[in-house]
Amino acid sequence: MQKEIIQSDIGESYLKAEHSSGLKIYILEKPQYNSCYAIFGTKYGSIDNCFSVNGEETEVPQGIAHFLEHKLFESEDGDAFSKYAKTGAYANAFTSFDKTCYLFSCSNMFYENLDILLNFVQSPYFTKETVQKEQGIIGQEIRMYDDSPAWRVMFNMLFAMYKNHPVRIDIAGTTESISEIDDKLLYKCYNTFYNPSNMFLCVAGNVESEKILKMVEGGIKENNPLEIKRIKPEEPNEILESLVMQKLAVAQPMFCFGYKLDSSKAPTVKDRVCMAILLDVIAGDCSPLYKKLMENGLINDDFSFEHFYGDGYNAVIFEGDSYNPNAVAEEIKAEVTRIKEEGINKKLFAAIRSGLYGNAIRSFNSVENITMQLVDCAMNNTNLFDEIKYLKSVTAEDVLKRLALLENGKTVLSVINPLEE
Amino acid sequence: MAEIISLGNGVEGLFIKNSRFNTTSVSFNFYLPLNDKNVAHNALLPFILTSCSKDYPDFTSLNIKLSKLYGARLDSSCEKYGDCQLLRMRISVIDDKFSLDDDSLVLQASELLLNLIFNPNTENGSFCECDVEREKRKAIEHIRGEIAEKRVYAKNRLIAEMFKGTPYGLPKCGTEEDVAKITGKSLYDAWGNMLKTAFVRVHIVGAVAPPKFFERIKERFENLERSNITNCKICKPAKPTDKVNTVIEKMDLKQGKLVMGFSSDMYGDDDLSVPLMVMCDIFGGGPYSRLFTNVREKMSLCYYCSATSVRYKGLLTVDSGVEKENCDKAEKEILNQLDILKKGEFLDSELESSKKSFCDSLKTYYDSQNSLDLWYALKINNANLYSPEDIIEKINAITKEDVVYAAKGIKLHTVYKLLPKES
Repeated sequence: MQKEIIQSDIGESYLKAEHSSGLKIYILEKPQYNSCYAIFGTKYGSIDNCFSVNGEETEVPQGIAHFLEHKLFESEDGDAFSKYAKTGAYANAFTSFDKTCYLFSCSNMFYENLDILLNFVQSPYFTKETVQKEQGIIGQEIRMYDDSPAWRVMFNMLFAMYKNHPVRIDIAGTTESISEIDDKLLYKCYNTFYNPSNMFLCVAGNVESEKILKMVEGGIKENNPLEIKRIKPEEPNEILESLVMQKLAVAQPMFCFGYKLDSSKAPTVKDRVCMAILLDVIAGDCSPLYKKLMENGLINDDFSFEHFYGDGYNAVIFEGDSYNPNAVAEEIKAEVTRIKEEGINKKLFAAIRSGLYGNAIRSFNSVENITMQLVDCAMNNTNLFDEIKYLKSVTAEDVLKRLALLENGKTVLSVINPLEE
Repeated sequence: MAEIISLGNGVEGLFIKNSRFNTTSVSFNFYLPLNDKNVAHNALLPFILTSCSKDYPDFTSLNIKLSKLYGARLDSSCEKYGDCQLLRMRISVIDDKFSLDDDSLVLQASELLLNLIFNPNTENGSFCECDVEREKRKAIEHIRGEIAEKRVYAKNRLIAEMFKGTPYGLPKCGTEEDVAKITGKSLYDAWGNMLKTAFVRVHIVGAVAPPKFFERIKERFENLERSNITNCKICKPAKPTDKVNTVIEKMDLKQGKLVMGFSSDMYGDDDLSVPLMVMCDIFGGGPYSRLFTNVREKMSLCYYCSATSVRYKGLLTVDSGVEKENCDKAEKEILNQLDILKKGEFLDSELESSKKSFCDSLKTYYDSQNSLDLWYALKINNANLYSPEDIIEKINAITKEDVVYAAKGIKLHTVYKLLPKES
């Protein structure tokens, strides 16, 4: 097995290895901790609904990656939860746009838990009956999200921002689309995307790397690496609709305001660091815009923002509650224009950079956070400590350069309004 | 592990030594009796106090200070703790060794918090009206906003119905009308009342306590005439009832919410209520629980169906999101599963799974600064200051008979249903 130790100057280091099957392994030891956190995942999410393997093209129903996540917990020899019940671990899984992750957290019996994890994710077992049963459970999960204004406001925005890219579709699909799923389709997706060469294992906590590597050595089923081609429809640079509205049971309007950014190149770690600083400069709680919006009663403590990116999509999103979402959107646009003209306030830049540096140090307090960051490294082939490195070195000029990505003509405002009495 | 230090009349300090973190945290916890007259005023205090001060008269200058302290995090909250209101203000900061310019970050951050609490932006016996109006608006929007999260909304509605007319039935931040009545002057009085009468706990979690910090807190409180200190031990449990109260509300929704409130005769401190905790977990805790394996997995009725207990209050709730037409079916099955526990018709392995799960997760408390801090903040009315390790021991000693005994003391009290309107 190929392996490498990566050091930092903050007292942390991690091991990066690659198994002969192509499985990537990332481990950060925290011997002073009681707990361990592990994720076994695949680069397979809701956006991978059209693909080809060995030239054969397949299109699958929306929501199938998430459905598969639910079903994988059942194996022929019982379900994974009942195995974890014997060890006491907390186990869960999640599906996002571009990955599916199976996780556990524990403070006892780590290696037994890892054995359960490696085994059940590699032992698919789907039948007509078990698929049918899951349609009821996931149907209720979808209904729950249909009633969630925070969820709807975000997906309505993506739907209006992207014309063709599958990021516009709900991760869990719809009650109709999941009714098309059967055991055969699940096996097809499983055999494509759960190939170890498309997967990663990330661990942080009170563990011994060498012991884990030994378990992986004998615990990964042999597979021939596959060449997976993900087929994405052509996506224009323009947005589809600039305003999208829905009415739901809320007391005050909720909004999501996004800029569609160029997605031809995936953002590098330096791009991401610069964008994080930039968003804080525009609307963070130290910024003049935040002060203005708060004092004018246009936002409250629920206001937040994020840089949202992945294969073929790239956006920055501001969200919150406001009695006047349109005014918030206009203020953000005006502030983007102002900073483009006037540049970045140097003192504000320095304060924000220190703040983000501290947050990066703080994130090493939590084994869960570390594991999630290792997953990010595995997905994007990046170094865990690069963020801290760039937070020390980027300049206001580096940040200002990225501001050109935000174009006021490529914005979408999504609003959830209260129902009329 | 942790030892309480007296810092004055009803003021306690606790240094929870733990060197595994990159940060140090300091929290001030004020406990006041829940009552309808003060609930909204008290609830606003942690938020206004952490938004500005004499030294940082607007929130932007304060936020810039926090950023310069390498992103020191200032949190405030108001929660119900039995029949008390717990007002919490907390700061956490990266340790000095990570500072790029050799600053004493921990000392500065802890002093900052102390000054926010004791030197707010006030003049002539009143908070600055513009700060009060801003915080009032945010509080009102927060109260109104509760309806957006249907699961939380439904659970709060159950508690309000179940404890109607008692302190615990009050909304934790008061009502919109209560908030609207707050003035700069009335809030100033509430602040004075908090400093003088609240029971206070100050926690430090980290490798080293900031030098002489507890002494400085002691001095601050010594200058106040503290009396009528909150008695946190007063906490009345839910009264069992013979007639179950069912409340149905309708809303424009797709999925219905079912919440059931039960009273338990086991309540109060850890020594009395650990069996309830274990019983509740076997009933509807993890994926090994009766509700998960039956209502979700076997019957396929829902995505979630879980039970939680509020031990010091003797309260157990079950909540689930179900289709309207399945609501009665789910309710019946939940009660059926409870009956099975009462009859002791569950496997030893279920009790073992629950014990294992508790013991595993309680050990992880030592890996989270906030969890440790909160753990001790919720250990006020106990005769003994138990650590997570101590509770592991108590859980391991629970027998099947204890679980059955706890289950037998559970009685259905109120059922709340939030149902979709007829289309």
